[in-house]
Amino acid sequence: MDMKVKKYLRGESANLEILQDRKLKGQLAVREELYGKSAKAAAKIEKWLLPSEGGYLEAEGIEKTWRIKQESIAQEVDILSTRNQYDIVLPDFGPYSLDFTSSGRYMAIAGRKGHLGILDMKNMALIKEFQVRETVRDIAFLHNELFFAAAQKKYPYIYNRDGTELHCLKEHGAVLNLQFLKNHFLLATINKLGQLHYQDVTTGQMVGNYRTGHGRSDVMQVNPFNGVVAVGHSRGTVSMWKPTSAAPVVKMLCHQGPVTALAFHSNGHLLATAGMERKIKVWDLRKFEVLQTLSSHAKTLDFSQKGLLAGATGSFVQIWGDLAGAQSYDRYMGHSMAKGYQIGKVAFRPYEDVLGIGHSKGWSSVLIPGSGEPNFDTWVANPFETPKQRREKEIHSLLDKLPPETIMLDPTKIGAVRPTRKKEKPTNPEREAELEAAVAAAKDIPMKKKTKGRSKPSKRAKKKQEAVEKARRPFLEQAAKEEELSEKKRKRISEENELPKSLQRFTRKKAKA
Amino acid sequence: MAEKKRKTRDENGHKNRGEFKKKKKNGRNSSKQDREARRRTGPRLPNALRKELDLLNSTTQLSDDDAASDSDVAATNDLYEYEEALPEEESKKNKRFDSVDNYEYELPEEFEDEDVASDDGNDEGDEANRDGDELDNEDDGRHSRMLQEITGLPGDAFEGKRKNNDFVISEAYPESEYNPSRDILEGDSRISIEDLLDPLHGKSGFSKLRKDVHRMERKSLSLNAPLPRSDQERLERKAAYELSKKDITKWEPLVKRNREAPTIYFDEETDVGFSTVGSIASEFKPRSVFEKKIASLVNDNDIIEAHRKDGARLLELNKISVEDVRDQQNRLAKMRSLLFRHELKSKRIRKIKSKTYHRLLKKDRLKATAAAMEMNPEAAKELAMKQEFKRAEERLTLKHKNSSKWAKRILQRGLNIQDDGTRAAIAEQLNQHALLTRKMNSMMGSSDESSDEDDSDDILIDSDQEGPSTMLKKAKEKTLEVLEGNEELPKSGVLSLPFMVRGLKKRKEAADEEARLALQDYELSLKQLEDKNEEDSENLHVSSGRRVFGATKRQVQEFKDKNNSDNYYGNSDSDEGLEAIGGDEEDGMDKNNESLTDVNINPDVLREESEIGHDPIFKSFEDIVKEPGPRTTYEVALFASNSSKKKKNVDEKIGVQNEEVSDCHTTRYTEMRDLDMEGENADSDTESEGQMVDGILSSGPKSTYEQPSQEELIRRAFAGDDVEEEFEKDKEVVLNEENPEPEKPTLLPGWGQWTHIQKSKGLPSWMMEEHENAKKKRAEALKKRRDAQLNHVIISEKLDKKAEKLHMKTLPFPYTSKEVFEQSMRMPIGPEFNPATAIGALNRPEVVKKAGLIIKPIRFEDVDPHEKVENNRSKRQKQQMSKSKGKSNKNMKSRGP
Repeated sequence: MDMKVKKYLRGESANLEILQDRKLKGQLAVREELYGKSAKAAAKIEKWLLPSEGGYLEAEGIEKTWRIKQESIAQEVDILSTRNQYDIVLPDFGPYSLDFTSSGRYMAIAGRKGHLGILDMKNMALIKEFQVRETVRDIAFLHNELFFAAAQKKYPYIYNRDGTELHCLKEHGAVLNLQFLKNHFLLATINKLGQLHYQDVTTGQMVGNYRTGHGRSDVMQVNPFNGVVAVGHSRGTVSMWKPTSAAPVVKMLCHQGPVTALAFHSNGHLLATAGMERKIKVWDLRKFEVLQTLSSHAKTLDFSQKGLLAGATGSFVQIWGDLAGAQSYDRYMGHSMAKGYQIGKVAFRPYEDVLGIGHSKGWSSVLIPGSGEPNFDTWVANPFETPKQRREKEIHSLLDKLPPETIMLDPTKIGAVRPTRKKEKPTNPEREAELEAAVAAAKDIPMKKKTKGRSKPSKRAKKKQEAVEKARRPFLEQAAKEEELSEKKRKRISEENELPKSLQRFTRKKAKA
Repeated sequence: MAEKKRKTRDENGHKNRGEFKKKKKNGRNSSKQDREARRRTGPRLPNALRKELDLLNSTTQLSDDDAASDSDVAATNDLYEYEEALPEEESKKNKRFDSVDNYEYELPEEFEDEDVASDDGNDEGDEANRDGDELDNEDDGRHSRMLQEITGLPGDAFEGKRKNNDFVISEAYPESEYNPSRDILEGDSRISIEDLLDPLHGKSGFSKLRKDVHRMERKSLSLNAPLPRSDQERLERKAAYELSKKDITKWEPLVKRNREAPTIYFDEETDVGFSTVGSIASEFKPRSVFEKKIASLVNDNDIIEAHRKDGARLLELNKISVEDVRDQQNRLAKMRSLLFRHELKSKRIRKIKSKTYHRLLKKDRLKATAAAMEMNPEAAKELAMKQEFKRAEERLTLKHKNSSKWAKRILQRGLNIQDDGTRAAIAEQLNQHALLTRKMNSMMGSSDESSDEDDSDDILIDSDQEGPSTMLKKAKEKTLEVLEGNEELPKSGVLSLPFMVRGLKKRKEAADEEARLALQDYELSLKQLEDKNEEDSENLHVSSGRRVFGATKRQVQEFKDKNNSDNYYGNSDSDEGLEAIGGDEEDGMDKNNESLTDVNINPDVLREESEIGHDPIFKSFEDIVKEPGPRTTYEVALFASNSSKKKKNVDEKIGVQNEEVSDCHTTRYTEMRDLDMEGENADSDTESEGQMVDGILSSGPKSTYEQPSQEELIRRAFAGDDVEEEFEKDKEVVLNEENPEPEKPTLLPGWGQWTHIQKSKGLPSWMMEEHENAKKKRAEALKKRRDAQLNHVIISEKLDKKAEKLHMKTLPFPYTSKEVFEQSMRMPIGPEFNPATAIGALNRPEVVKKAGLIIKPIRFEDVDPHEKVENNRSKRQKQQMSKSKGKSNKNMKSRGP
């Protein structure tokens, strides 16, 4: 219970003892008490209303969890769960990629050869499938199951549930990977030229368009915690991007070889990367340090809601688990597909103990006990959503849409006092260059042809001169102002210094910054 | 003596106003004398002078008697001297000035002066007055004598008058305590305490009273002079303040509670009034006649009784006259007929549709026909026929050429006079005419483009294959003509200039080239069409899954053709080239699938697998895969084999012309492979795979798996070495960008270089120092960076200007420390983050009150000063809870089993 209360308190309360202002102290004390009550109430609710607890496979004696096969699991679980073990064989349409809605109710599939479809996972019904007759590289649901985006041969397209093409996003180019940022309503794509695009799907505005500068890459993941998009590059680096800056927020060297896969833990603190040099590394993003290095290869990685890590290579899926909660991942389960199946994508289904596997012969689904969150919050994601609720939620989420600026490395810092940093003064040569550019621009302004002797050469020369002066003035003024400022400062300092020691205490003290 | 006195009087009168008061006090007699004197001694003066004097006196008499009496004396001696003392405005010479009233304070008769020390020589005056008093008796005698002399009357008359004055008192009012008699006022016979006590003699308590009085008389203390008023008031205020201060402290706990309370409630004892409809209805009282009547009927005892019983009597009570019934029936009938008529009317109206409706309908119809025309050739034909008929009709009748009566009339009247609408209509008509009578253009020109676009609507092309084939043939002929037909070069004019000729030739060559290409195109497509004719019949019977690809096939071929003509393979962009091939492979795969009976396994996959799969887990798997199993097909393998075949086809088709291109293509592949081997970057997985496939492509469909060369292996093993170095360089660059290195100190060119002194000395020390400082600063800044300790990480510290608005600029007012502020902001207070029970308290406003409630001034109530605010509020909440509890309990009960 205490742990839960602590969780809901979201950090420690401030030390009120150091406060001088008694009124503020009183107010804050009242607030803190309210927070405490709220946290307690929330903890109680969690205790009584969310009783289902997750569990993992447990092995007895010399049994090992990773030796347990799907067949033996199937014998033990209920009928509904056994329905989640299946293989769909569609050999014609090539490796499939998958995407689930945030509630886990719907799944979108995209065969490389143009087979697109949406499935209702609850009753295993096909909602819509159609052929686009060209290469499809990736698929992603937008904010709900009504819309999805597919990265096709030349451009990404947005379709609705009925398979109607709504938009063709030509600006994105030939996209290799698609990610949708749910809270910001941004569609992030990376194309063949290594350009990262952010498009607001509500307004259609292109929010950001940046070169990654590391060549082609189809390894991209969005951090669910802060909306930062991470891209894995061929040089072993992973760069993290936000839509408001042209330079990566973070760039880290993760592997010696190319990065083949990336995955973020849902709490945003853990990052798993797989490299070509047969290493999977788990990173702590708070410290940017490697927590653990697993020696294995993975073409695709995914974290489950409960923090299990799945990776797949060839036709073999492996799941690592941090069962002890000690930040050390070890083998938990494995699953090998039929020989020759090339797994292209693994994705855990939210709120279910199910792992979806997209491979070259279709897609499969296996049971991974303990992978999904056992309690769902209908305000966050409701697997049993009715159309009316969906509509309501759509409006709500649109009203709660976050602007792209809120994507930053540490979103908890929003609302805090701006970090003080001294203003970067342009250096002298920079300023000179700017001045020169401005003057050149002023000179280049074409003159209007005027009559009645107003465009005599002398007049023109005069006007040009004036234009140059005008362009130069702001710079000179700025310089003068700075000069003045520094003069003042110097003066003050000298004044302070000049006074005899005994009188110095009478000088006005500067306000402490 | 008298003279002496007069002198003093004169002096007093002239100089000393203050003295005048004293005189008044003692001089009751003297004033009387004055009056007598004035009466008797009128100075003998001429009339004119007298008048003037009177005028003067009338004013001065008002001001002071004394002066007047003096003036009597003075008037005889010196008239003008006196006049001088008067101000001009008072003289009323020509009545130019307003007469000024004398506002000088006139002291009351009974005025008794306190003995205030006078400022100027009053003591003397006093003495003089005392002298005067003594002298008065003497004076009286003398005065009477004087009077006798003047008037010639016996002195007794004066004496008697005087005596009369002394003893006979004529009072206007009877004597009472409100009108004290003269002697009392004069002070001779004062009422003493004894006088008051005497009547009480013998009554009870008298002795005690007398004793008290005695004691008081004996011990009479002189009282201190009272404090000045301001001091007194100040003291009073001070005392009052102390008192009220003490009094007001009782409010302190109350105010403190209110101040500390996070929320103040003003909604407690408010009477909102009626809350339910029932309560409002119960308060209803009939007022108007109508209401009363109804009430009497509703509350009729008989009816109520009847209801309460079996209701049989209700019928009895319900009497209606025949006329009433008839009336009602009539009314009903009327209403019904009205309704019916209205319905009919509305039905008719509903049928009439608006202009817009018709317009839209027409538009829809047009659209539908247009669509039908596109979809259905017969319909199109029909439509064309119709159109043609219309055109013919128009040409015959010239219906739209201003021949109508309306148009004629308008033209007669002149177009300029008409309004815009008519003019537009005329224009429209003319336009239509022009449209209908225009000579038909041949539709042949555009066929060229239509053949190679729109690969999606195969149906159309399928349906009329004859058209394209003939078109193609025609086009072919034409191009041949162009090719063969040698245009003659102009012999004269500008075009005959040598460079023009050269240019023309060049252009012609290019055109020829193009024509040749086009020709090949046509041939190809002709061939295809023939093929397709055969295939189509098959395709129709193919299962649905196939059909999909049947459609794409054509597409593929066309795509290929396009490539040929565009010389696409020559494109230097390797990436796109690969992609194009990939597309070909994917799309055209199906065709080969049909022809391929046995499936190839390309060992390329294995290469890929081996690249990564040294894991023991995969070993067995690998083994299995290595033995050529006919069951499984691999996409990659398919790609390879298919595309190779395809490639062959392509080559055939392209023929001689493309040979060069394909050559360069293959060379490019080899180059790329070399690049792959030695290249500094390990390309992404998929790409290399693709290249490999292409590489095998050129060598043949069934190549064996090649062991990676030693070089390759070494490269892979040490691939990572320079990665780190590169990253370090990257980091350096970023650091330099964000914390730029200080500029190197330099002297201005030519400065101090005349004599080598500067050179030998080196740069001035201050420059060096500055540079050093800047360097130090930079080092510190670098140390402070978040990624200072992390070699493998670059964390950008650029300020995000757009995100700046999400931060506070400064610490908000009451906070003094950043930590406290940030800690206080850590909890979200929205409904998404808090349970519903806590959300109200978290977001409650400072003041809770109902709208329209008048907040009354604070009332005193006893508050325990040590009670906590929180408890207080929770108490209130408890009260509220207990109020609502009743209801919930009921609910619980009803819900319970």
